[in-house]
Amino acid sequence: MINPEHLSAQGRRLLDRRGFLGTAGLSTAGLALTSLLDADGLLASDTQTISGKPPLRPKIDPNNPYAARNPHFEMPAKQVLVIYCPGAVSHVDTFDYKPELWKLHGQKPPGIPAVTFEGPTGNIAKPFWEFKPRGETGKMVSELLPHLARQVDDFCFLHALTTDTSAHPQGENFMNTGFTMEGFPSFGAWVTYALGTENQELPAFVAINDPRGLARSGKNNFGNGFLPAAFQGTDFTAKNPPNNLRRPAEFSGEADRGTVQLLKRLNAKHLEMYPGDANLAGRIASYELAGRMQTSVPEVMDLSGETESTLKAYGVEGGSELRGHYARNCILARRLLEQGVRVVQLFNGSDPAGGNGITNWDSHSNIAETHAMQAEIMDQPTAALLADLKQRGLLEHTLVVWATEFGRMPFLQANGTGRDHNPSAFTCFLAGAGVKSGFSYGESDEFGFKTAVNETTVYDFNATILHLMGLHHERLTYYHNGLERRLTNVHGHVIEDVLA
Amino acid sequence: MSRSVLFLITVGTFQCFLAPTLSAVDFEQDVLPILEDNCLFCHGEDEQESGLRLDRRVSMIRGGDSGLAALVPGKPDKSYLIEVINHVDPDMAMPPDEDKLPQEQIDLITRWIQEGARWPGQMEEAAEDEVDLWSFQQVVRPEVPQQVERDDVGKPIDAFLLNKLEEHDLSYSQPADPRSLLRRVSIVLTGLPPTPEQTKEFLAAFASDPEKAYTEAVDRLLDSPHFGERWAQHWLDVIRWAETNGSEANLYRKNAWIYRDYVIRSFNEDKPYDQFLREQIAGDTMGVGEATGFLVAGPHVPAATVGREPAAIRQARADRMDEIMQTVGASVMGVTIGCARCHNHKFDPISIRDYYAMTAVFQDIEFGSRHPEYSPDHPLRERGAELWRQIAEQRQQLKQMGGWEEDWGAYRELHFKPVSTKAIRIRFKMANVFVDELEVLGPDAQNLNLALASRGTRVSGHPEKGFETRNPIQRINDGDYGTMIWRAQVEKDEDRPWVRFEFEKAETINRLRVSNNREYFYETDYLTKKPNLPRYEFDVDVMTDTGEWQPWVGTWSVNKKLNQEHPERKKLLDKIQRSIACLSEEGPRPSFVGRLIEPEITRVLLRGSPESPRDEVFPAGPKMLGGDLDLTSETSGPRRRRTFAAWITKSDHPLTARVMVNRIWHHLFGNGLVPTTSDFGNAGAPPTHPELLDWLSAEFTEPTVSQRPAWSVKSIIRLLVLSDAFRQSSHPRDSALKVDAGSQLLWRYPPKRVEAEVIRDAVLQASGVLDTTIGGKSYRIHNEKDTYAQWQVTDNHGSDTWRRMIYQERMRRVDDQLFTAFDFPDCGQVRAKRPVSTTPLQALNLMNSDFVVEQSELIAERAEKEAGGDEVKSVDRCFELLLGRAPDADERRDCLELASASGLPLVCRAIINSNEFAFLP
Repeated sequence: MINPEHLSAQGRRLLDRRGFLGTAGLSTAGLALTSLLDADGLLASDTQTISGKPPLRPKIDPNNPYAARNPHFEMPAKQVLVIYCPGAVSHVDTFDYKPELWKLHGQKPPGIPAVTFEGPTGNIAKPFWEFKPRGETGKMVSELLPHLARQVDDFCFLHALTTDTSAHPQGENFMNTGFTMEGFPSFGAWVTYALGTENQELPAFVAINDPRGLARSGKNNFGNGFLPAAFQGTDFTAKNPPNNLRRPAEFSGEADRGTVQLLKRLNAKHLEMYPGDANLAGRIASYELAGRMQTSVPEVMDLSGETESTLKAYGVEGGSELRGHYARNCILARRLLEQGVRVVQLFNGSDPAGGNGITNWDSHSNIAETHAMQAEIMDQPTAALLADLKQRGLLEHTLVVWATEFGRMPFLQANGTGRDHNPSAFTCFLAGAGVKSGFSYGESDEFGFKTAVNETTVYDFNATILHLMGLHHERLTYYHNGLERRLTNVHGHVIEDVLA
Repeated sequence: MSRSVLFLITVGTFQCFLAPTLSAVDFEQDVLPILEDNCLFCHGEDEQESGLRLDRRVSMIRGGDSGLAALVPGKPDKSYLIEVINHVDPDMAMPPDEDKLPQEQIDLITRWIQEGARWPGQMEEAAEDEVDLWSFQQVVRPEVPQQVERDDVGKPIDAFLLNKLEEHDLSYSQPADPRSLLRRVSIVLTGLPPTPEQTKEFLAAFASDPEKAYTEAVDRLLDSPHFGERWAQHWLDVIRWAETNGSEANLYRKNAWIYRDYVIRSFNEDKPYDQFLREQIAGDTMGVGEATGFLVAGPHVPAATVGREPAAIRQARADRMDEIMQTVGASVMGVTIGCARCHNHKFDPISIRDYYAMTAVFQDIEFGSRHPEYSPDHPLRERGAELWRQIAEQRQQLKQMGGWEEDWGAYRELHFKPVSTKAIRIRFKMANVFVDELEVLGPDAQNLNLALASRGTRVSGHPEKGFETRNPIQRINDGDYGTMIWRAQVEKDEDRPWVRFEFEKAETINRLRVSNNREYFYETDYLTKKPNLPRYEFDVDVMTDTGEWQPWVGTWSVNKKLNQEHPERKKLLDKIQRSIACLSEEGPRPSFVGRLIEPEITRVLLRGSPESPRDEVFPAGPKMLGGDLDLTSETSGPRRRRTFAAWITKSDHPLTARVMVNRIWHHLFGNGLVPTTSDFGNAGAPPTHPELLDWLSAEFTEPTVSQRPAWSVKSIIRLLVLSDAFRQSSHPRDSALKVDAGSQLLWRYPPKRVEAEVIRDAVLQASGVLDTTIGGKSYRIHNEKDTYAQWQVTDNHGSDTWRRMIYQERMRRVDDQLFTAFDFPDCGQVRAKRPVSTTPLQALNLMNSDFVVEQSELIAERAEKEAGGDEVKSVDRCFELLLGRAPDADERRDCLELASASGLPLVCRAIINSNEFAFLP
């Protein structure tokens, strides 16, 4: 059972209400509580996993797929915020300080490949921003991200990440679904499947897309893949509510209530012929939940109650228009976490089609300008969000993951002004519940070209995040097409060193 | 690769000086202690890490999960053991986390193998190729059990089921009421509920003769053209067929829908299932080229997104082959063949060799478009031939006046007087040139590109490396169309771009084809920037026998000069352009059903990595299924596929019939006899009724009960829906629920929420606006977009979309903002069965979407009209249209109340959202 002390006030209130089925008056306790997963007639005990460890499939009540479920083991983190930066943030220009690059600037030392993702390579380029020691730990961070830099003492950096691909969509898939190929469940879907959610009036998993649109892998990043659709991320922003949330303009409130009333009666009558049918009852309950979401979602999206100082701290005004939108999304993220939403995934970048000249971190040319434009959007609001979570005590039970799909090269592209993709070394960071703070794990080589110490695969990264959420990455499985599928495929090791 | 080459050399030299000088190695004295000290702890009797045992000679020969033989007697260079103890690959160095074995120990083991790996007492043992997996055993038709309890059981299916139920003290439920039964069988067979009129007729007929009425209804539904639409939907799910690529750009696949129509047609015609499979695997050799859309049903990453690193390009090809493996494995074989991509299958008797041998079957397939091969009497082909005759005549006339240029959309073709030459030179007149392929053709073969690098033609030119040194000239004769182009950009005062081809030998040439992105033109559509081929001006020189350049033809001379000299040409040129346009509309069109390429030698890729190619493998099916096809690397691509198709459709193939009858069962009863419908392996669920499954499989390939030919899908379906099991009521019984909550044993017909398509189609049918045209281009709900943008839903409800949902463009991982929430697949991974989940998003979509609001109004309008404006009758009519029944008194009262307060459309909206509407009764 979840320890109520770890929950926000809202979360405790919800827990006290003991789920929503009771209130809907449709309890079918004791009847046909077969989980969705047993639909294949497979019992956890008689399926085989690659790891040889028996699956721990969550027991899902089809009446209420979002019911809060216990983790495999107790960990401080109950909720998770993923801040995803599509396009590949240059680690050598932000958090991974490499003094050698100043020395070798303009040279092409041996070992640089002739061709990388976009084509021929050029010479080493020193970082485009100066680095300074920050915080008590003295962590070197560049001037590109001055606001986040102030909070490095709270972060746990992973400097030796590697990925399997140097293409964005596959890289996004890999980071967010554990596979480079299409069609696998997202991290958020896995967590929702495992843990359900505390707040039954808001979606369990919310994806807040960038104001410029979806990232390159689109819905894959927050989709349910082959998991039941119930576990997909619901997609809305501070500006745009979920599709079809609002009552159609054609119908009055009274007419709408009338429909709901009639529907209830029709369903109740139908249920009489199928007494105790869990699927029918579950569908009736989903309409109740939808009805409550129609109130609770606009409430959580309404930022009018936020103080002037909050708006200022997040940088809603005074920056670019895009920063303003992103800042509002950051405030929305905090509000969702406050309300006990299990997974919030916040995007800072879109596919290359939206925006005003710059759409994400993919700086193949003129990195000095394009990374700066993107950083202006991301830095202050994200830093304010993390500070706000900390100040409100939410970090005590919220894990924060800041991620991107790969890094950028320490050298420029041939005859160019930008850096190509670097799948062999890049940086992400964790913060909050259960994670060491002011800590750095792993090292890239002297150029930031490849990993040198404690190489960390995406599998390790995801295994660690699941572990921080109290989940065994090898045992959280879903049977699909012949395999007990996992977020981490057949790989991954929890990085014990980063655990607090 | 380089590593293994190096390794072979070391082992080779090493043998030369060792062999003659030393005496034979004694296994027990010299080798066993090394194994015992270093290997057997992890690879011995108690533990077999990576599935490898080194304490038996035969298991050493068999090897572990990697699929490589640890030991090949007499051949140390082929023995994986030698490789790992030599630490050739640092990632696979043994013993692990320890120092390498001392060199003298490595030498001893190497010599032992070299000398034949003599292992006292074990030389006679041979590996046993025994398979105990039930699904790999031949189907043997079981006896139909005799039912003593009931004397009215004539149907074998019921006999099997009742037998099993009795074991659990269960029995069938009451027969379903006729109204529910008709609704059930109509939806299950055609995806559409019955109309009120069909219901009425059926009830009347049922009252006088239930058996006859039901049988006739079943036959009517099986003959309905909507049958094929419903069953095609199931097939497309399994193979995750979609009309976009997936991945970043998620590009539209032009004319891919002809495959969807092929599937619908096949089910409607009750094409024998074996033929259906053969056509999908090798339809290009059978006059049904469109059927190979099957092979490229999965997603793929286009070249532009793969990038330019050679390793990434090889990996992407291996990924595409894997998509083909998954398609064939999941849909036809019920085997998770993809699990053997990196190592031997963990659970099933499929080796990594089997996997790559099967990829060899499909090595001539590439994701892309081609002109489908149609039978000579196919209307498209006949029309095409007619137009080609016209074009040939028009060309004859033009030829009299010199050269000319044709615009084929994807490319321009310059025709000129034939000349025999060893080299040609093309001099462009502009500073900017983008060319993906420049083809040189002769009079003898319509499409044979004489400039291809693979023919030995050498290319040179200026600027050789292309723009920013990233767009080399080699791309213009590499045979690849698309985004990988020669991009020439020169300064104003610089030499203009030029290209020179030197042929292996003198060739007779008479045409040039220039294109800049033929891939996008042929393969995709709905991009905001249409592929556009600029009119390049250039001159062509040919090399004379004496090695001098002789000006031969040029765009200016054929387009301007000749037109001035022969004003009458203009009319002819217009005419030929019209014929060409006609051909691309009315003749066979390039369609995304796969592109055929020359197969390359296939090798086992160690740990799935294209960077570690190993032994050559020949095209074959899995060994344990008797898949040897007697083919080699020399066999042509089409013949490989044809042979494989013949093998997989042998009537005694243990999997093919079982998998399909089980799939049919799943779609009729909501759950397969093998619940894991695409995994008949050890990790899947065993059949609940093994005898019944085998009896049905036998009946499928050798019918006894029905009069239909073998492999008839409709015949099996008919058998099942005529069973008592199918005709039972779906109402729950407490006592039975306690024993079998999932109704797996079929003590009732299991109710289930219907799929997205059924909801949408049923709403449109109720409002009377459903356009029931079969087949054709899909309707669009999306925008046109930039290449690297996401698709946006622009209109998912307007009158252009009022067709059955199977005709909605199937987009990978795009939310249609309506029915995706109803577990509509994202088409990324094979979807053998859809999950059925319940989410508040479904409720919101079905309550508030424009589609439902509009349709509610249309249904209300129709009901009012048909009821002559009478309020009560209007409510009754809404019920009939949506639920196929009249409301009872309470329902009528409640509906009237809402109708009078807020209007009849809201009543329709409530019914559309009701459980009764959404569940299969």
